[in-house]
Amino acid sequence: MSKTAYLNGIGYAIEDGESILDFCRRHHTEVPTLCDDSRLDAFGSCRVCSVDVALTSDGPCKVVASCHTPVAENMYIYSDSERVQKLRRNIVELVLSDHPPDCLTCESNGNCELQDVAGQTGVRQIRYAKGKNHLDQPKDVDHPYMRMDLSKCINCYRCVRACDEIQGEFVLGVNGRGFDSRIIAGADVGFNESDCVSCGACAHTCPTAAISDKFQSKSVQATNKVRTVCSYCGVGCNLEVSVKNNQILSVSAPNDAAVNQGHTCLKGRYAWRFYNHPDRLNTPLIRRDGELQAASWDEAYQYLAERLNAIKDSHGASAIAGISSSRCTNEENYLMQKMLRVALGTNNIDCCARVCHSPTAYGMQQSFGTGAATNSIADLKLTEFIMVIGANPTSAHPVTGAKIKQKVMKGTPLVVIDPVETELARYADWHIQLKPGSNVAVLNMMAYYIIEAGLVDQNFIDNRCEAWDEYRQAIMALDLDEMERVCEVDRELIKNAAIAYAKADKAMSFHGLGVTEHSQGSRTVMSIADLAMMTGHIGRPGVGVNPLRGQNNVQGAADMGCQPHQGAGYLPLDQAASLSYYQSAYNSDVATDVGLKIPQMFEAAISGQLKALWIMGEDVAQTDPNQDHVLNALQSLELLVVQEIFLSETAKLADVVLPGTSFLEKTGTFTNGERRIQRVNAAVAPHPGCKTDGQIMIDMMNHLGQNLPDFEIEQVLDEIAKVVPFFAGVKWHELGDNGKQWPVTPEGLDTQILHTESFKRGKGKFHFFDYQKSNELVLNEQTFPFILTTSRDLVHYNAGTMTRRTPNEQIMKEDVLLINPKDAQSKGIADSSKVRLFSERGEISLKAALSDKVKPGVLFTTFHFPELMVNRVTGDEHDSETLCPEYKVVAVDIEAQL
Amino acid sequence: MSKNLSALARRKGLDDNLFETLVDNQGLNDDSARKALAKKHLVGESTVKGAASFYDFLEGGNADKKAYICNGSSCLCAGTQSKVQDSLEQHFDKADIGHITCLGRCNKNSAFRVDGVNYSGDDIDRLDEILNPKSDAKEQQQTPDPISVISLTGPAILTQPPADIDSYYALFADIAAQQSPQDVLKQISDSGLRGRGGAGFPTGFKWQSCRDAQGDEKYIVCNADEGDPGAFSDRYLLEQNPHSVLFGMLMAGWLTGARIGVLYIRDEYPEAISQCEQAIAQIKDQPLLNQGDWSFRFKIIKGAGAYICGEETALLRSIEGQRPIVSVRPPFPTQSGLFGLPTALNNVETFASVHWILTHGAKQFNALGNGRSTGTKLLSLDASFNKPGIYEVEMGTPLKQVIEAAGGFALSIKALHIGGPLGGIVPRQYFDQLTVDFESFQQAGFLLGHASIIGIPETMPMAKYVQHLFEFTAAESCGKCFPCRLGATRGEEMFSSAIKGQSKINRELLDDLLETMKLGSLCALGGGVPLPVENALQWFEHELKPFMAADLSIAIKEVN
Repeated sequence: MSKTAYLNGIGYAIEDGESILDFCRRHHTEVPTLCDDSRLDAFGSCRVCSVDVALTSDGPCKVVASCHTPVAENMYIYSDSERVQKLRRNIVELVLSDHPPDCLTCESNGNCELQDVAGQTGVRQIRYAKGKNHLDQPKDVDHPYMRMDLSKCINCYRCVRACDEIQGEFVLGVNGRGFDSRIIAGADVGFNESDCVSCGACAHTCPTAAISDKFQSKSVQATNKVRTVCSYCGVGCNLEVSVKNNQILSVSAPNDAAVNQGHTCLKGRYAWRFYNHPDRLNTPLIRRDGELQAASWDEAYQYLAERLNAIKDSHGASAIAGISSSRCTNEENYLMQKMLRVALGTNNIDCCARVCHSPTAYGMQQSFGTGAATNSIADLKLTEFIMVIGANPTSAHPVTGAKIKQKVMKGTPLVVIDPVETELARYADWHIQLKPGSNVAVLNMMAYYIIEAGLVDQNFIDNRCEAWDEYRQAIMALDLDEMERVCEVDRELIKNAAIAYAKADKAMSFHGLGVTEHSQGSRTVMSIADLAMMTGHIGRPGVGVNPLRGQNNVQGAADMGCQPHQGAGYLPLDQAASLSYYQSAYNSDVATDVGLKIPQMFEAAISGQLKALWIMGEDVAQTDPNQDHVLNALQSLELLVVQEIFLSETAKLADVVLPGTSFLEKTGTFTNGERRIQRVNAAVAPHPGCKTDGQIMIDMMNHLGQNLPDFEIEQVLDEIAKVVPFFAGVKWHELGDNGKQWPVTPEGLDTQILHTESFKRGKGKFHFFDYQKSNELVLNEQTFPFILTTSRDLVHYNAGTMTRRTPNEQIMKEDVLLINPKDAQSKGIADSSKVRLFSERGEISLKAALSDKVKPGVLFTTFHFPELMVNRVTGDEHDSETLCPEYKVVAVDIEAQL
Repeated sequence: MSKNLSALARRKGLDDNLFETLVDNQGLNDDSARKALAKKHLVGESTVKGAASFYDFLEGGNADKKAYICNGSSCLCAGTQSKVQDSLEQHFDKADIGHITCLGRCNKNSAFRVDGVNYSGDDIDRLDEILNPKSDAKEQQQTPDPISVISLTGPAILTQPPADIDSYYALFADIAAQQSPQDVLKQISDSGLRGRGGAGFPTGFKWQSCRDAQGDEKYIVCNADEGDPGAFSDRYLLEQNPHSVLFGMLMAGWLTGARIGVLYIRDEYPEAISQCEQAIAQIKDQPLLNQGDWSFRFKIIKGAGAYICGEETALLRSIEGQRPIVSVRPPFPTQSGLFGLPTALNNVETFASVHWILTHGAKQFNALGNGRSTGTKLLSLDASFNKPGIYEVEMGTPLKQVIEAAGGFALSIKALHIGGPLGGIVPRQYFDQLTVDFESFQQAGFLLGHASIIGIPETMPMAKYVQHLFEFTAAESCGKCFPCRLGATRGEEMFSSAIKGQSKINRELLDDLLETMKLGSLCALGGGVPLPVENALQWFEHELKPFMAADLSIAIKEVN
């Protein structure tokens, strides 16, 4: 029997733990408030949400703040009594006695909670004489994005609470007390000088225009608001784009977004000005007489059709290859692989997953049968233990990173396995700061200690897994002394972390490219899977193995078949059944040979077997390792086609450049790192002269003899649903605002957690791999005694193609090299001085930053400023199974530069 | 409150806490040191700056002064402070003299502080000597200035310090050996003991819910932040009977399962801090602090000048290094208190009552008093009485009897301000009607509160006294809730500009303001100050009427 409370005389069932305010809202009774943001803990400062409450139907009433008073059985709530109406009016009058009087000139006019509440409560006059006030507070306008005007501040603390409870930075605070209290950034130094990460959560929640941004995102000028999905990292944040006259005014985020609940990082919210940057390509280009010259679309398609057909005729389809883009939609990726496989007849199709999470896809397929995150980010709410391996989510996956940080700050134990002291490592209970390249050693040690302590979930292993005994024997035969020497971490630390992971009732692991971009990348992934299986941390809520996918749609690009050994939906191409499945799905012959992976494409280009390469939205000349080698490959081709939005370094080498479009100009779907297929909606029309990448694919296929209708999202998605088994029930109109997580059944039901009853591959399989020292070190460590490892910064995205064409450039201006102060001293390198960094392959010069975040012997840099050419020093070593490059371990040396 | 900041403070624990670092380093006013502190504690630089800037003695215009003059209500009423100010100005630059509210020297007035040492009464006349001490005089200053104590009760419960510490604490050992915590809790409940800080919450109930709460650790916190101007009964207990407080905390720890007792003592009471330190040192090695699988230790945290820290949630946030702003309830501290863990927080006097109850039994304690107010109560009588000092009275004692015992008034009094700045202003005609207990005061429209009693002399204009109360509230408001943050300042402005003759008070607006603060405020500060103001408006209407506007249409600004 449910419990009842009475709202304005009518009884309703109450829910456990809800406040009176929640209760009122659930029953469509509006209660005005200024300090409430339902995403934040109840705070109770404005008191505008006060209601009258009696404990019996005719009992005496008491005024309580509804936001923090729990509703209780048999409460009689009067949300609009005369007394509370007057109280609200009088509070708002007090607020307005210290507020600028003129709404009409304010950015928030028409979109201001104070204005709304003043209207609702009926404040018509301010009876107080002019007294102390904050009207002359100086404005803070120094930051590239954030703006603060405290004359408009009502001291509701929402900004401070958002900075604390959502982002977890504590950049905003309050200075002084009482009437004089005032919001500050950092030690009262303004946004720009503070440690602000520019996430905009403060501006987003501020009820007035006291905190806003340079785009005036609170203004109501926009005539249209478009909900779409961010195209930076794989978190998949929903955005709300304000548009007027086909121009974007600002970007915000919807509070009802399942993925990000109104939150974003500075890239999603603010770094969008690239979309109409003057550098945008606006016409197809064809290289003639050595120069890229403007051409019409028809010319370009004709030219390409002729050249591709000619190459196919003389060298066969296998002389043609494509690299798809995980920045593009599922539909575009699907069409790209279809062009290669069906229209051209080759399986030479790959995507940038090759250089990031291909080991994850491969490794998890080997262990579980599915190469994707087993759980959802929402499981963070349930988990009781977190393990982060080789990932820096507060920088690279900021919204998820913030959620992990929130959990950890409140006491959920965290182990971080990373050679660098990341932001999360500062909060970790155990930071296993291992030597780069020794992940397998550490994970094997963890397995050893878990088994030794008898903490394995034998029941789970017996019922759900296979190959345990061999695995167990191999682990127990480990030479722990040797492993400890290899990883350079105290074994007790590893033991304690392992035991805590195993003892936790629900433990989630997250990993990033610090796991995959190694010569033992796939093996590390399988070792993580081993730990999850032996402890039963898989197949239920709050656990799992969760790769943090790097790019917005890298999950989707692989799902759609942009890889050479598996088609759309991961059917293996070395099996006849798969081939006949695809033949019938495409109603066409398909290539039967397994295709080339990206590094193999470069090799084949240099050796002359590959003649044509079509690259969609990927700047391999800057981002792939061993740059000289890559440039050599691209220059060896007969035909290089680049589909891009800017004239990238790769595009500069192309024979044909096709101007594509950014996510803001197209419609389709992205699949985020938790398998969530979400709708991308065009906010503006394609840039003049450009076409959407899906339309380009269709046009090209038609020029290659197919007969396809113009790009139509529903139709392409329907086709995908027929081909990709786990998309079976996906329909454009049923995806809704928050999408669906695959597998989606034919009935349209989605899946939050994989492997709940059984593994996709039947039984989960244990794999033991011994630690193997990277060849890079075996060959080069004598001559180049330092290890360089690289990662992303929060501010920029990969090669900076987009972010560096926004004011983010003012926030982070260069890549620097982190050097442990001891190393700096021995090498005579001063902070901020120039350093020559060199390896077997090449050398670069960059600025030093002395830092305890790296141990002696380890160097760290980001790679957002490709003009530094950090890939001149990176090598050719790669993951033994998937050829994912080993970006994370590069043998280098350094010297001070005068 | 910030759950994150509470949890992060918990990581470092009580012995490495951010607030103490700030206090011990006079606010640590150095950018790089504060940055390092923030980094060490995993919080923001704004967290450190926000906390430090909240306190009078850590940062801002009143920090780091050579001398401080008390501006509490009693010294104001006594009219002693202009002389003190003049004398101080002969030795210090005006800019080196700060204000302090209040030193709890209301029994003597003329209160001031120099070099962290408090003075009162005729000390100001020997300022030269204080500033140029003879060699051995310095030590003398550190010892407490004894407060005169009169017990009007049969048995003195609170004002009879133990003669022998060992036998005093033997009671704990006996109880721990022979009784179950549940039986002892029943005795506390049966005694009817209610919180002496002012709210009168049943102590047994509070401790029971702390005992029942789930938590890896639990805490006992003694609220020794006696900030009410006019009150010095806690100062008396801490200085002259500290073992009674420590015993109560120890017992509460054993009863609830807490292992640490924190005494949060205001910076304004240096002698209380040193006396408690000495008392803790005296019992440090007693085996009673270590009962097998349960042990107990004490920790003193020194305040830094913020009245609001007397509010329990603000006090807890203060210890955590957060800004001491008031938290919403629920959760109550017994569920989620210090560091988010179950915490029993009580006033000094509440703890001090426990030994007697457990010695003589709940029944005897319950027999004392009046209805739901049982036991005895300490009263702080200021120097407006002929015999000022601490009076211990049985609950229910007629106020008149207290006045008589105190020898009547030393000067002509028009009202008593009882129960601190948020207590009622009691006009003369009520002196014969009230009895000292929670109910009598409440029924008559006043508040016993913490039972400080200040005489408001005939010479003190009531408008000025009301302005003083608003000014105090505005100065001490934490600034969180809108009614208090804005309302106290507006109230102060209304009265000060009326006193200056600049504008009259719109009575309707004043009534609205008082109602808004009373109904809307988050805690007892903003919610409480309307009571004395309303008392003044009711009982001293004749005095305040000239300040009121006849025409209500003044001073109105249209909203656009």
